[in-house]
Amino acid sequence: MSSVSAENSGDRMLEARELTVNYGTLTAVDRVSIHARAGEIFGLLGPNGAGKTSVIRALTTIVPVAGGTATIDGHALTDAVGVRSSIGVLPESNGYPPAQTASSYLRFHGQLFGLSKAMAEERAGRLLHQFGLGDNRDRIATFSRGMRQRLGLARALINDPAVLFLDEPTLGLDPAGKEEILQHLTQAALERGTCVVLCTHLLDEVERVCDRVAIMHRARIVAEGTVDEVVAAAGIPGYGTIRVAPADWIAADIALRASPAAGSLRFDNTRPGDLDLRLATTDGVRMDILRLLLDAGIEPRSFDFQGARLSEAFLALTGVPQEAG
Amino acid sequence: MTTRMTMPASRSETVTPTWWVIARQEIAELWLSSKGLGVLFGFTMLLAVLSYLASADAGINLLDARESVGVVVQTAIGLGTLAALVVSADAISGERERGTLEALLVTPVRRGSIVLGKLLAATTMWVASLVVALPFVIVMAHGPGVAADAVAVLGVAGSLVAAALTALGLAVSALAMSNRVSLAVSLTLLLFLAAPGQLPAIQANGPLGIVLVRANPVSAGLQLANNVLVKQQAWADQWPFLISPVGAAVVLSALAVALSSRLELGGSR
Repeated sequence: MSSVSAENSGDRMLEARELTVNYGTLTAVDRVSIHARAGEIFGLLGPNGAGKTSVIRALTTIVPVAGGTATIDGHALTDAVGVRSSIGVLPESNGYPPAQTASSYLRFHGQLFGLSKAMAEERAGRLLHQFGLGDNRDRIATFSRGMRQRLGLARALINDPAVLFLDEPTLGLDPAGKEEILQHLTQAALERGTCVVLCTHLLDEVERVCDRVAIMHRARIVAEGTVDEVVAAAGIPGYGTIRVAPADWIAADIALRASPAAGSLRFDNTRPGDLDLRLATTDGVRMDILRLLLDAGIEPRSFDFQGARLSEAFLALTGVPQEAG
Repeated sequence: MTTRMTMPASRSETVTPTWWVIARQEIAELWLSSKGLGVLFGFTMLLAVLSYLASADAGINLLDARESVGVVVQTAIGLGTLAALVVSADAISGERERGTLEALLVTPVRRGSIVLGKLLAATTMWVASLVVALPFVIVMAHGPGVAADAVAVLGVAGSLVAAALTALGLAVSALAMSNRVSLAVSLTLLLFLAAPGQLPAIQANGPLGIVLVRANPVSAGLQLANNVLVKQQAWADQWPFLISPVGAAVVLSALAVALSSRLELGGSR
């Protein structure tokens, strides 16, 4: 495991240390340590069966932990009622009572969190309006999948949680629906200061919205940090395309091949003047390459650089290809 | 700038007990969906046909008026409690299957309150069956003049047996990981409880038969109905037949609430 963050633990809303979950003889979560702060979106990634859902269920007091400790908003897992009062959860396979309306569904859950009927109604109305369901008086049975997910997210926010756990919240949604859900959870983190734990297979989403990520594989954390840190920890090189004048091809080739930063180099014969470059390392090589060319008297017409993607780091760390978006 | 609202309601506002919030919600779901009304419709049809056959043409009915009332009351108890058992057997395992249990388990509501709320809601199935059965029983019992006894038997013995079986179904539902298993186990247990009624007459009247009938809440309740309505025995002599229904209702309800601590989600990782 490569933990590459050094942070102040003062504002940590979630902190798990050596968390272990067993199902009989099967260890689903093996000494997992993670943390997340208020207002942070933390991505928990991993292939199917890696143990992500078990981590969430352990942290939400749904399954007992076999070892380790965790605190949510200052409540230890042993204080189950305290933890549950501080969290909102949208499970992966969340079901909905088909005969209820969105409003009565939210009001019901609000009352379960100790709100008075009037307060639950007021908060349900505000959330429904915020999630674009304010005028809907139909039964949930008539809702589309996107509407149900928005309703589920609104339900998870009914108690204004300190920590919000979302397990595959965009699964099965169209691009507009995905975008809407991501906007809502970003808003929750930014405006309410909610700590969001996002479990998803869609790495594009993670790269866009997550402040920090952890990758799980076979019940353990194999990398943790910001997306850039995790990619760097995975040792994935970047790509570059340098465009030079056709007359400079040979000189550029000689200059770049002499550099240890250039891992591989090939000419693109379909686009005269382009050199496709695979960099050997990720740290600071862009400037080195550029300086090398300038020192050799070559003025590049363009230099497009693309850092390695999280999906490549994911593949390198787990050996399992992941959907990019 | 981040803002989190404060929880929960201030003391001046009335906060409904969570067991009642859950009970109310379950009752609404039971009776707004087709489940509760469908089961009640089936119960009503069966009772109507039986009442008609028991009270109609003497040529097709070999029972006297009191026996007819006894049969209808016993059938109402049997079917009504079966309906309550079926509803309660679905209460938790059904939520597990429909994916609605996890959202309930992550609220700060105590597990005991969840089970208590569901128990109360499932009991309304019996209450509705009782309300439907009363007109049939009163009309039939009017002739032989046992209407008050018939209503009392339904209200007392029927309600106790229904409470016991509702709690039994809920306890099984809390442990069963699928709805099918919950229903199968609950109905098997009901068949087991109904077995003493199938004892040959000699054995049923023997010491072992009497103990078996009295110890079993279902057969005890049905025997009480027969004693009061058909054999015209006094209520004062019937207390031995109330012991097991009362005991089973109390013990099984306590068991269902106690099992709430083992309320698990099940499913995959």
